[in-house]
Amino acid sequence: MPTAPELERVPFTGLLVRFAGELRAAGLAVGSGDVLVYCSALTRLNPADLVDLYWAGRTTLVSRHDDITVYDQVFRRFFLGDDGEAGDPLTLMLRASAEAQGALAIPSTEPGESEQEDEAILGWMASDVEALKHKSFTACTPEELAALRRIMARIKLTPPRRRTRRAAPARTGARPDPRRTVREAMRMHGEPARLYWRRRKVRLRPLILILDISGSMADYSRSLLQFAHSAARSGGRVEVFCFGTRLTRVTGAMECRRPDEALERAARAAFDWDGGTRIGDSLEVFIRDWGRRGLCRGGIVVICSDGLDRGDPAVLASALERLSRLSHRLVWLNPHKGDDPGFRPSTLGMMIAAPHIDLLLSGHDLSSLEKLATLLPGLN
Amino acid sequence: MEGPGSVGELTETLRQGGYLADRGLSTALFVALSLDRPILLEGEVGVGKTEVAKVMAAVFGRKLIRLQCYEGIDTNQALYEWDYARQMLHIRALSEHQVTDPDAVDKLFGPKFLLERPLLEAVRAGDQAVLLIDEIDRADDEFEAFLLEVLSDFQISIPEIGTIKAASPPLVVLTSNRTRELHDALKRRCLYHWIGYPAAEREIEIVLIREPGISAALAGKVVTAVQRLRELDLAKPPGVAETIDWARTLDFLGERDLANARDTLGAVVKDRDDLEVVLDNLQEITSGAHRA
Repeated sequence: MPTAPELERVPFTGLLVRFAGELRAAGLAVGSGDVLVYCSALTRLNPADLVDLYWAGRTTLVSRHDDITVYDQVFRRFFLGDDGEAGDPLTLMLRASAEAQGALAIPSTEPGESEQEDEAILGWMASDVEALKHKSFTACTPEELAALRRIMARIKLTPPRRRTRRAAPARTGARPDPRRTVREAMRMHGEPARLYWRRRKVRLRPLILILDISGSMADYSRSLLQFAHSAARSGGRVEVFCFGTRLTRVTGAMECRRPDEALERAARAAFDWDGGTRIGDSLEVFIRDWGRRGLCRGGIVVICSDGLDRGDPAVLASALERLSRLSHRLVWLNPHKGDDPGFRPSTLGMMIAAPHIDLLLSGHDLSSLEKLATLLPGLN
Repeated sequence: MEGPGSVGELTETLRQGGYLADRGLSTALFVALSLDRPILLEGEVGVGKTEVAKVMAAVFGRKLIRLQCYEGIDTNQALYEWDYARQMLHIRALSEHQVTDPDAVDKLFGPKFLLERPLLEAVRAGDQAVLLIDEIDRADDEFEAFLLEVLSDFQISIPEIGTIKAASPPLVVLTSNRTRELHDALKRRCLYHWIGYPAAEREIEIVLIREPGISAALAGKVVTAVQRLRELDLAKPPGVAETIDWARTLDFLGERDLANARDTLGAVVKDRDDLEVVLDNLQEITSGAHRA
């Protein structure tokens, strides 16, 4: 089927491999196995057809929706020469065929989203001021870091458990275990001597941390991110989000082993560090992009914020109402609560939030975080 | 039936089966068929991920085997299980009749007492089947690891019977709603395709091909309105399935346009909060439809 025998196999394969290398350099996880599939996919398609070239790569080399934009960029640069690089005859030939086909419209499945992303990237590059603001995140003094690491080592968050559909053999239980019973009966020459039981297994509920990193919370956020990092490594499923003026998912940054590196990455991801606070809008984004897909279903959502919201109170109220319905339990940590047992929420945001919160704690120091860790397993 | 010879041919075959696939999806499916690779489809709710598998099965005369994933699914429900009740009865019957068959025990673990579940069924059927593993993101990660094993070599070992291997593997379609990120190892085994919402013209075409009885004018109005709904900030934006449902509902009621859209909104908007948003903007949504 390769319709272009004039394309000599080896140099063409070399071109594809170089393209894959470019993608890898751009941050996509492209293994050599993927490249093999990519090349063999193209033998079934028409490699001289740029659209086939595009889709063959996108379907074999991209495995994540977020990577599609990157793929488009690299493809454009590599095969269409957006950067004006001369390239070898093969590339030129492909370019020529592209021109013959008219302009290749690289299909954008979701125009809205990619535009937003472009905007985000541009904003990121353009604003030096915002970039400078990262400093406060990574500028932990060594002593501080050492102290925080001790906190990390001491606190282990264990979310409550829930029962699953799966069952495991048990001494007593609600369901008989036919498999084991029969197996034992076989041993007794087919005489069912004893009935064995199964019992439902239990599993940790997912834990979702939504941390306020705005100006009013800046003093706490550093320790809280450290806290989030330790929670993420305690086993079970933990998702971490940061918000100030906008919501950023930092779960990925929490996955690396070294806390310094995790903090640095989180700082890079959350570029509204020390900005304003829009709790309502951020929570709504969380619900729309993550919550309603089931991320927090049956889970424990821990929000850490002082409730100083600059957004519309009605938005916050509806977002919290929906969040409390979507999740299993809603915990709010308010550092301004302090140790005062008679604390009454005074900010508007906290007053709005109060009816939807299952548990309100302070989280302003080590002991209060420990209190959370002891209360958490009981939130069934 | 023989596989398609080119991407265009596959697109045409799918169209005859009532499914409009764009170039990307056709290419992905074509490559999946040619190279015997599983294909992972992700996308918004209601854009026809599951439908792809159904139509592929229908147009190529293959059997559709569906494995619906859910939290807590385990190998017994996915692979095979012994029919314990029957085995037990069989044992009792044997002992009562004093049958002394030396092979009795072997027969007990023979095909007769084996309950086939979707994965085993698919491996047995080989390329006569389309295996649809639906909503894989709902299953636990342990199940994913197990699936990885099956998908990599399409062979299943049953200790009592032996290894069953597919001569040529079935077409495997996995779908995911992205409630969680799938494991990289699984993704690496699969081709990946993201299905987005179709453009307006294509969506009109889809409605017309699925519901040939509907007038083109009504379809156009409905699609325009739905595309506007998607621009609103809804918790559950309507998918293509909802568009078709709405068009069908309006057609059934004998409506010619969206003048009485308010009464049939239940076909597209399925969330109370969303409904309020839509009712506030109803005039704007349907007015555009009149113009179209």
